[in-house]
Formats: sequence, C-alpha cells, structure tokens
Amino acid sequence: MEVPSMSRPQWSDLVTGKKTYQLKFLAAKILLGRLVHSVKENPTPDNIKSCVELVYNVYAKNAGSPSVQEDLTTIFG
Amino acid sequence: MLQDIMTVAETAKLIAAGKVLLLAGDEAALRQLPKGNWIGGTIPYFISHTEGGLATRERIFVTDVTGVVQSVEIVERDANGLAKVYAEGPQEGFSVVIIPALSKAHLSFALNAPNYRDFGVRPLIGWISGVHLDDLGKVTPKVFNGVTGNVLEEGAVVLQATLSPGKVAEVGIVNLFEQGGGDILTFPADGFSAKEVLVNGEKRNFAAYIVKNKLDTRLPLVADYYGALVNISFQGIDEVEGEVKFYAPVFTGIRYKHAKPVADYGEAFKACLENKCQLSEDRVVFSCNCILNYLYSGLEGKKTDPFAGPITFGEIAYQLLNQTLVYLEVHDV
Repeated sequence: MEVPSMSRPQWSDLVTGKKTYQLKFLAAKILLGRLVHSVKENPTPDNIKSCVELVYNVYAKNAGSPSVQEDLTTIFG
Repeated sequence: MLQDIMTVAETAKLIAAGKVLLLAGDEAALRQLPKGNWIGGTIPYFISHTEGGLATRERIFVTDVTGVVQSVEIVERDANGLAKVYAEGPQEGFSVVIIPALSKAHLSFALNAPNYRDFGVRPLIGWISGVHLDDLGKVTPKVFNGVTGNVLEEGAVVLQATLSPGKVAEVGIVNLFEQGGGDILTFPADGFSAKEVLVNGEKRNFAAYIVKNKLDTRLPLVADYYGALVNISFQGIDEVEGEVKFYAPVFTGIRYKHAKPVADYGEAFKACLENKCQLSEDRVVFSCNCILNYLYSGLEGKKTDPFAGPITFGEIAYQLLNQTLVYLEVHDV
C-alpha cells in the first residue's frame, strides 16, 4: 500500500486526536504520544501541519514495514 | 541467528572470520578482543537460551547479525553528535546504539532524543552499558568500537546496518506493566529527578506523596504514548531533600500513573513473555532486558525464550526506556 498523501484529512484527524486507532508501529505511537499533546496545547494550523509532516515522514520512511502497512490499512481503510 | 554466551577465544574466532557482532561483557573480557566489525558495551549479566540468566565476568554475550546485513558502518558519537542518530541511519536498515550509563551522552540522549531531527524515521535499538552491581561507583561503564579499538566512557558507539535485499527491521517492546487506577501525575520540568509533582493538577512534594501513599517503588511510573506504555523506574527517594530520582527522565506534558500492582513479578513477566511467544526465534535478531526485571523477577537461571541477550542499565527502542525488554525483528518481505 502506498503511503497516502499528506493532504488526506485522516492525517490531521490523527494528530488532533479527533480519531484514535489501535496502531502497531512503535515509532509512530511514541511520536503521536507527543504530537497529540502538542496539538492540544497549540491547535494552530501551522502546528497541525508541522505535526502531520512529522508523522507522515515516519510512515513514509518505513513504508516497507509490516506494522506500517497494517497501520495504513487501519487509518485509511 | 546466533545469540549465545561464549568464551573470549570463541568470540575472537568469530571476529577473525569477519562476522558482524554486537557484544556485551565485562570490561576485562572485551579488552582482550581483536579489532573487527563489532561494537560492545560493558555488563556482566546476561540471559542465554541455554543457561538462562547468569552473571559472568569471563564470558561474552555474542549477537551475530552477519546473516541479515549487507554492509555496516560503525561510528562514534558524542552527546551532541547523537542528535543525528535517526537521520543518518541507513535507508534500508537499522541502527544499534550503546551508551555508557551516567555519561553525558546517556543523560543527553535520555532528555533530548524524542526531539532529535527525524525521530523514528529509521529503526533504532540499543542499550545503556553498566557494571557488576558490586562495582557500582568504583568502575565506569564503557562502550567499545571494535573497528578502531577505542574504548569510551563518554560518548556512544553506533552500528549502522544496511539490510540484505528483501528484509525489513522492526523494533518491539515487552512491558509487563500497565497504568494503575490511581492519581494522574504530571511534572513541572523534564528531568531525572523531581521534587514537585502535580497530583491530579494539585502541586505536591513527590517524595512525601510516595511515602504517604506507600507506593511500591519497584513498580514504575507508566506513561501511555498512544498505546505504547513507557516506564520510568524509581532510583531512590531522598526524604530529607524531598527529592525522587529516576533511571529515565520524566517529561512535562506527559501524564503518568503508578503501575498497576502485579501479584508476582516473576510470574507476570513470564506471562508477558508467553504472549510474545508467537514471535519466531529466527526473526529475533537482538534483544536486551532491564536489570530491574532481572533482579525483581529473579531471572538468574531462568530462560526468557524467544529472547536472549544482555541485561542492561536502560533499554533503547527509539528512545530510552526502563523496566522493559526490547527486541529487533528482521522480516522477509
């Protein structure tokens, strides 16, 4: 599965905590633990965009990993 | 995958054969080894597949990753240079980092790694080297660069491994703890110690809070990072100074809870391992386990299959962890 574009709303739903998922990929979980908190503290469009870039980058750079593939299916269907 | 306890001579033979090795052993044993493609850290405690948990100053725990890697580079990084550890990892591979306990690099990595550039873009696993508990305060933990022969007590060694084609690496954690049902604890500052804590938002002295509530400090604080449970272990309480010391830093903005009690630490750890037994031993390339788990679970003489490896003063799975077992799996894709 290709990593869906950063413009897909699911990414911002993820970092704003609007939607939560049971994810598998450890690096993303640790990162999201911080990003969701960061967005709660500072919910500006710039901060949301910056957090989306960070989590997208982690998934994109590990696209071959089985847990990443599983997470992408969980988030994007 | 070879993960075994070996004599110095047996280990030297593997080095001479050009194997790529991750080594753990007492300083005197590691100093006897020839140069080669290896990194190492000091510690005399191990879990082996054949003998279970043991302490030995003479033998070395050997993890041979030759079979899964195409090439490796071994680099040394100081406390500042470690900031590149994710960004400079190989495109298709993983990095293993070993850092001496209580070094500047240890403290810096613990506090800053989550904010390093490109956090998480490459698999990073590793451990904090230590010493025999009888030697605490007398001998410093060290790390070894097998290529140069350098022995460092400040700074870290990193093995950057590019995987063979068709393979992918993943890092995992075994944590027997869950958040308990008690108070929500937050801290006003990042650090390895805390005097103040916010208990459900109310400022208190943390040492007094622990004493008053009779918290079992064998059980860590647990943070929930989007479902990944991360422990902060207690090092000690100074009631006079009103200060609590930890083996890993607490961070502001993170909500901690004292761990849910476990009826029997050893049994709970065993049950936790059994949940992971679907992992194939062939896929587990490396693992290490916390010395607190070793002590509190009474792991001497006991096996932790499918995992074997060094016992550590801290585990690294992307960031510093406590009271966990961390492992690196390599999958065929």
